[in-house]
Amino acid sequence: MRHWQRLWPWGIFSGFSLALMLLFVAYPMSVLTLNSLRDAQGQLSLGGFATVLGDSQYRQAIGNTLLLGVTVTLSATLVGVPLAYVIARHDFPLKSLVAILPVITIIIPEVIVGQSWLMMLGNNGLISNALRELGVPVPSFYGWGGMVFSMTLIYYTYVYLGTLAALRGFDGQLEEASLSLGASPLATRLHVLLPTIAPAILVNALVVFTLVVGNFALSSMLGGQTPLLSVMTYSLFVSEMGSSPMLQSSLSVILVAIVAVVLFVQKRVVERRMVQMVQGRAPAPRRAGSWRGNLLALAAVLLVTLSLVPLVAVLAGAFTQARGPVMHWGQWSTQSMERAFSLAPEPIFNSMLFAGLATVLGTALALMVSYLVVKKKSGLSGLLDYAVVLPLTISGTVLGIALVQSFNTAPLVLTGTTAIMVIVYVVRRMPFGVRNASSVLYNIPGSIEEASISLGVSPLMTFFKVVLPVMKTSILSAAILMWATSISELSASVVVYSGGLETLPISIFRLVDTGRLGLASAYGTVLVTLILVPVALAAKFLKINLFSGK
Amino acid sequence: MSTITIQNLSKQFEQHHVLQGLDLTIADGSFFTLLGPSGCGKTTLLRCIAGFNAPDSGRILFDQDDITGVPAHQRNIGMVFQDYALFPDKTVYDNVAYGLRARKVAPDEVRARATQALELVGLDGYAGRFAAQLSGGQRQRVALARALVIRPRVLLMDEPLSNLDAKLRLSMRDMIRDLQRQARITTVFVTHDQEEALAMSDQVAVMLAGSIAQMGAPEFLYASPASAYVADFVGSANLLSVDYTGPGTVALGGRTLQVDTAAAKPLANNQLVLRSEALTLVWTEQQAGSNGLPVTLSGRQYLGARTLLRVALPDGRMLQVDAPGLQRHQVGQALWLKVPPSSRVICR
Repeated sequence: MRHWQRLWPWGIFSGFSLALMLLFVAYPMSVLTLNSLRDAQGQLSLGGFATVLGDSQYRQAIGNTLLLGVTVTLSATLVGVPLAYVIARHDFPLKSLVAILPVITIIIPEVIVGQSWLMMLGNNGLISNALRELGVPVPSFYGWGGMVFSMTLIYYTYVYLGTLAALRGFDGQLEEASLSLGASPLATRLHVLLPTIAPAILVNALVVFTLVVGNFALSSMLGGQTPLLSVMTYSLFVSEMGSSPMLQSSLSVILVAIVAVVLFVQKRVVERRMVQMVQGRAPAPRRAGSWRGNLLALAAVLLVTLSLVPLVAVLAGAFTQARGPVMHWGQWSTQSMERAFSLAPEPIFNSMLFAGLATVLGTALALMVSYLVVKKKSGLSGLLDYAVVLPLTISGTVLGIALVQSFNTAPLVLTGTTAIMVIVYVVRRMPFGVRNASSVLYNIPGSIEEASISLGVSPLMTFFKVVLPVMKTSILSAAILMWATSISELSASVVVYSGGLETLPISIFRLVDTGRLGLASAYGTVLVTLILVPVALAAKFLKINLFSGK
Repeated sequence: MSTITIQNLSKQFEQHHVLQGLDLTIADGSFFTLLGPSGCGKTTLLRCIAGFNAPDSGRILFDQDDITGVPAHQRNIGMVFQDYALFPDKTVYDNVAYGLRARKVAPDEVRARATQALELVGLDGYAGRFAAQLSGGQRQRVALARALVIRPRVLLMDEPLSNLDAKLRLSMRDMIRDLQRQARITTVFVTHDQEEALAMSDQVAVMLAGSIAQMGAPEFLYASPASAYVADFVGSANLLSVDYTGPGTVALGGRTLQVDTAAAKPLANNQLVLRSEALTLVWTEQQAGSNGLPVTLSGRQYLGARTLLRVALPDGRMLQVDAPGLQRHQVGQALWLKVPPSSRVICR
């Protein structure tokens, strides 16, 4: 009896959450790993890995993936860091807008980015055609150029936000101290400022690397003939359907291993070098007056505008006359939109249903887990703390494959159901949801809960009467982020979905593949609206800054 | 209103013994203070009484009721926290009414009692405000009203004044003591501030490493510290190793002093406790009388109402003297220190 009393309620909740994470993350990953070590006869074998490492095509894919990761990480850093510096240290007209707009690039679905750039710069693109008419030779957008270009314009945002936070927390007196000791402004930046913010830059650069390695949408839409791990894993999954899943599993394991190593380095080596500011007052931004300042400001405005082109392109595309892959730019029409709503509205309903369910369940689960981890420390919640970050190492494609392999047969058949779509959404968003909620919970002193208990309210009721009301706005913003990221999810859901479960991103992905850009744009417009309207409403009416917790 | 009895209470965190077989009785209606430096176990003991920490062994009783296994929310305690712990999303009024509503008190009575409690702490005009709109002292008074309005069996206070500025602290001491006396509620007060402990308490327990070093009324603790630790912690004391030379006398730096040696033992580590405000500096040996020590003034801090003087014995040991008003001695001067014969020798 005493034992049960001690477990209730937090021990029970911890156990329940842990069981969910084990069932939908740890168990599928172990099934995947086992499958990578089992040949068609079910015998233990390293044949899968031998094939992968022995075949030049796969070796090339691994090499390309790493190279793409490094290249985009570098280019995103080269774009993100200077932008952060300009925003933190200079003042110019429209600055507050320019400072916040890059955030939008993160929540525009990658399928839409890929599609839009194809409509602009692809073989039949608006810009490439215009240039060709002028006699300018246009290189193919498919392949390295297109991938590096489009990925850089999305992922620089991560480096930008991380660096900006570091710069804003930087104690300006350190620079003044350096100048007073006789160091030149340039030397001061190199020897005082840069070493202090370098770990923050590196942490976010490594995040970019893992995102590029796991990227599916842009890699497969723009990659052309370039073999890449995630795309190849997906095509193996499609072609091995029904036969032994050894090769897809082996490639998946390699993908996970790459990301895990990088994240391990990030956690163990880089984050420990993060500098804590004893006190911080960032120097006030200087008004750009000089030609140099103006130039920097102009570059910042151009960059941010460029990264928002996809948003405009997809809107324009939705209302443009289209025939297959040919867009008749300048000839407006509502035909595509009408078709999306009247003939094929199913993906819209599916997306709203799955993302809605994921938002409710995912937010509740993330809140519960972070509450247990932060406020009710125990052996179980310690395990839970590790379990929830596990999905960070698993790219969408791999998660999808692992879930299909695990829940395709009895006792628990989930493939082909709404449940698996919702599970995919929730699992992928879990680490971020928990991290955001935790940062809020850390700032709520334990004493207000104890105050409530001392006044005669049970611990469980205290959670509802005191903790939840205090977290109200954070919960709402977490829910909106959950909604926005779930509804754009492609890489895992495209693996687990089956007929009748198409979502907007999946439909767009397939429409682009078959060259039906008009309808794709129409879906894209609906998708972007579904994402941006709640975000804008929250920002306007609830004064929620969605990205403060990141 | 209850007598609190604590029997053989032990608690350890990982390998660290925070409370070691502690026994204590806190009289009904008294103001009882747990005094000690951080890490001595005073907050852990308070939280065991509150029910936020579960002791490893031992019992806690409110009157005859064993509450050791009773969850915190069923103990009927009032608690005031160091950081006030006001619910940030609720108004002052709703904070105060919170405990009454949890007890399912009728709405009319909730209103009457909450309003009265706010009047009692002088915050009747503040019912609609939020914690963020109040000053530190006002927040503390809301916390006090919130804890008292439920008419708890015991009132527990965890360093409630440490976040206030010095002037406010003085007036809050009076308010807390007045309210406690009116309600005649058994109060356990945790602090590391010896002045606060002396000023407010009926009884003080000085804690050291998980047990009680000495317990008693403030004046008793101050006059008769049982150990060097207590002497040093309660009031400011100079501690000097001395040789016990016979009943009523000790040797210090070649001189024999007449002091209270009731607690001294021959051939042991005897320490003479000299309260800094009981010492007097004089110019000559004659003025010092038979209980004089030659010293050199090595530093002085003029504080307005008093002057703190640092003097050195011939063997280099330093003493602090707390003298009223302005003292005109010069640093470097040779002076004499008058030792009161009531000074105690303690043995550890």
